[in-house]
Amino acid sequence: MKTAQRLLSDALIQEKVIEAIGKIFCDREPHAQELLTKALNSETDELARDILDDIIDNAALAREERLPLCQDTGLLVVFARLGVDVRLEICLRDTLEQAAAIAWQKYYMRDSIAPDPLRGQLDECEDIRSESDARLPIVLHLEQVPGDGLSLDLALKGGGAENMSALRMFNPSAKVEEIVEFVVDTVVNAGGRPCPPVIVGVGIGGDFELSAILAKRALFTDSDERGTCYRELEKDILRRINERGRGVMGLAGRNTALEVRILTAPCHIASLPVAVNLDCHAHRHIRVEI
Amino acid sequence: MKVRKLSLPFSSEMISSLIQGDKILLDGTLYTSRDLAHTRLVELMRAGQPSPIPLDEGALFYCGPSPVPPGKVCGAIGPTTSARMDRFTPFLLEHGLKVIIGKGDRSPEVCDAIRKHGAVYLVATGGISALLSRCVVSRETFLWPKLGAEAVYRYVVQDFPCYVAIV
Ligand code: SF4
Repeated sequence: MKTAQRLLSDALIQEKVIEAIGKIFCDREPHAQELLTKALNSETDELARDILDDIIDNAALAREERLPLCQDTGLLVVFARLGVDVRLEICLRDTLEQAAAIAWQKYYMRDSIAPDPLRGQLDECEDIRSESDARLPIVLHLEQVPGDGLSLDLALKGGGAENMSALRMFNPSAKVEEIVEFVVDTVVNAGGRPCPPVIVGVGIGGDFELSAILAKRALFTDSDERGTCYRELEKDILRRINERGRGVMGLAGRNTALEVRILTAPCHIASLPVAVNLDCHAHRHIRVEI
Repeated sequence: MKVRKLSLPFSSEMISSLIQGDKILLDGTLYTSRDLAHTRLVELMRAGQPSPIPLDEGALFYCGPSPVPPGKVCGAIGPTTSARMDRFTPFLLEHGLKVIIGKGDRSPEVCDAIRKHGAVYLVATGGISALLSRCVVSRETFLWPKLGAEAVYRYVVQDFPCYVAIV
């Protein structure tokens, strides 16, 4: 039997996405704001408290003035779950990249995307996007799910935190302790560069690229979505990062990380990939359900 | 933590009185420069030309601002990761650079050069653009407008908050 398909128009998806970007460019995800308030309450270092105050106050002012939380308005990263009973008018990437271009203009966001990653150093490759190109490149992860809905997890991902990511192919006989050390060292050695306090995404398993995708995806999850299995490990890693005392903006205090979030996937018996992806305190994440 | 209200340019005596961890409310002129502007600037100077940015007058601010919305003095501003500019910094310090604003650690070589030349590295908080933009009195495009966010902009600021990191 053939089920009826639900048509989601390009215009509707664009409208929802532009509206969502309009929320997050000037405001962080509410749970992250709560975690920052908790961090401030637990922090005893004067300098760290001074910075945390500013970080918290900035969100209220940014929201009110409709100014970006941060001048790096980021790269739009989307995890999309598309119901099998949905019909789209055009490819989802086209819709999202057009919506991004409109949102960036509308909210006076910084265009931070270099079309050529080598910035035009090779004579054959130009680092310019044509003026007429009504699209802004994004990163899209698309998965199919049952049902007739479209769920979009959006993030504005800044470069400073992204640059401090790491991936290591461990020996499958590696002890959990080695993995913990790798994650802790990655965050601590990043110092102030990713704008701590950070949220730490960890992907364990899958293959080379899936571990990285899991690490990024973990940044979008709440604890219910991650299950209970790794909860103690998450807490342990968090405690050990903060004990090392790099602190707020890498300058002072004990709040280097706000949360550690682990996602896992089955992997080949010869492999044990582990990836770490950081998000700064700006944490501009939102879910759109259509 | 001592809070000091200071104006640019800094004298050598002023710089040597700074203590790591002091908070500074800064008045004066900031010139933004990040990856591409640094590449251009250093290429020009290595070719024997004088620096088009008055390195000893204001502070060099590692920043790529966002566009200015209508009716505002400036868009969002804030520090970008300083370590990316490490490769250029000792050369600029040799040519008179005194005050740098960014975020994150510097290489041991840059730390040494900052101390050797009696300069100072200040850290501003990342991700507090709305607060920082309140400190901006005026803003103009100074050099290489085609570079967009990576161009050099000249900001006059008042009470711009930052912390002494390396001195
Ligand atoms: S890491 Fe985040 S808060 Fe820091 S500058 Fe980048 S986007 Fe802004």
